[in-house]
Amino acid sequence: MSRWEVFKQDAAGKPHQAVGSVHAADPQHALVTAAHVFARRPAAHSLWVTRAAAIYSRTAEELAAESQAAGAPTEGQAPVSFEVFCKSTHRRSMTFVEHVATIEAATPAAALALAGAATSDDSRALAWWVVPTAAITASAPTDAASWFDPAKDKTYKQQALYGAAPSRAAKRGAG
Amino acid sequence: MPDDETVKSHEFEARIARGEKIEPGDWMPDAYRAQLIRMIGQHAHSEVVGMLPEGAWLDMAPSLRRKQILIAKVQDEAGHGQYLYHAAETLGASRDEMTAALLAGKAKYSSVFNYPTLTWADVGMIGWLVDGAAIRNQLMLAQCSYGPYSRAMVRICSEETFHHKQGREMIIIYASGTPSQRHMAQDALDRWWWPALMMLGPHDADSPNTPQLVAWGIKTKTNDQVRQEFINEHVPELRAAGLRIPDPDMYQDANGDWRHGAIDWDEFWAVVRGNGQCNVERLAARQKAHDDGLWVREALDAFAAKQAAGEASL
Repeated sequence: MSRWEVFKQDAAGKPHQAVGSVHAADPQHALVTAAHVFARRPAAHSLWVTRAAAIYSRTAEELAAESQAAGAPTEGQAPVSFEVFCKSTHRRSMTFVEHVATIEAATPAAALALAGAATSDDSRALAWWVVPTAAITASAPTDAASWFDPAKDKTYKQQALYGAAPSRAAKRGAG
Repeated sequence: MPDDETVKSHEFEARIARGEKIEPGDWMPDAYRAQLIRMIGQHAHSEVVGMLPEGAWLDMAPSLRRKQILIAKVQDEAGHGQYLYHAAETLGASRDEMTAALLAGKAKYSSVFNYPTLTWADVGMIGWLVDGAAIRNQLMLAQCSYGPYSRAMVRICSEETFHHKQGREMIIIYASGTPSQRHMAQDALDRWWWPALMMLGPHDADSPNTPQLVAWGIKTKTNDQVRQEFINEHVPELRAAGLRIPDPDMYQDANGDWRHGAIDWDEFWAVVRGNGQCNVERLAARQKAHDDGLWVREALDAFAAKQAAGEASL
């Protein structure tokens, strides 16, 4: 079995975000396991999985260290499609990188260079993942209702639906 | 002139001081990596072994609602183990090695799971006290400097709050119920109070690793600080529920802190060293699950190999 990174999309129109990994033998097994591990509660709209080994990963620190090194020549290689993911804040979060672009390039490094140029706004990118689009398996839109909707009915799993602790005063007041 | 390693160490500590998260791929001291692998591995094992004490009551839940809640809680603990093994894997640890270390008795898990669940009220008391203590510790670890561990903690805390609240709800109902229900709730508190205090770890004076862990931003509070937060949160609520804290020396000091009496650390260390009531039973249950799952893992691998061979021949 190998390790698969999982990306969860909370709702249509939101980006897929890296939530963690599962061990699985094949893409469908990875998707089913990911649904049980990462979508036990609302909300999920779609899951993507990809083998961890398929990910080209660079942190800002790694890119700074590599900046002197010349990029590998890419001439002559046919461009393919890459999905690019980025983390841009140190704020407390339960997700890592999120999907920011789909880019045609000859190599993951070239895709990253293009993505960096494309997203050079004020937010400083802290970490990047680049994954060949062909290496990603997505949950089927037709499965979304049966996979993700039942969690909405399991309200006993939701902490917000339990009351606050009683205080002595409240107890007295209730008689 | 400082060597390369010293310069990197200073830069690393400066990053942590600025509140930056360290991510997989970033430079880190070997000891930082090793401490995290040890801590996260133990934490993951605790989630997995933690399914067992409550799992024993799944067939005996007194209502369908309580059964649904308990199934969801035990399933959550399995998921929490997955989040944490993932965090350790980002540091280079392998799942197989971690599992082997647990089954061989080389890796530890939380001492509290080596106590037996004798009555149904223990399920509620574990939710209220053990998950309550775990949440206090995990809220602290959610501030951790290592990104993947921090993210796992944020995800776990949001789910574990449900565990805490369902346990508190259950115990409050029993504590205001019939005499036998009240007795069952008090008995559960009497047996789980001290293990819950112990699970937050030795006193600061006996925790030699703590200063370095705090300097690296792995821990952001000490064991005694987290324990005091846990006590201050829970003592008033337990008393309001009509229960008696089984500590004759407990008192509230001028600062409003509830001060506990002496903890029996001999008991703690005996449990950690394998001599608790359920250590042997817990590891045997994990070993059986691992052995029983072998044919599933083999079948999955065989299927994947067949698929790969099919793709290769296309």
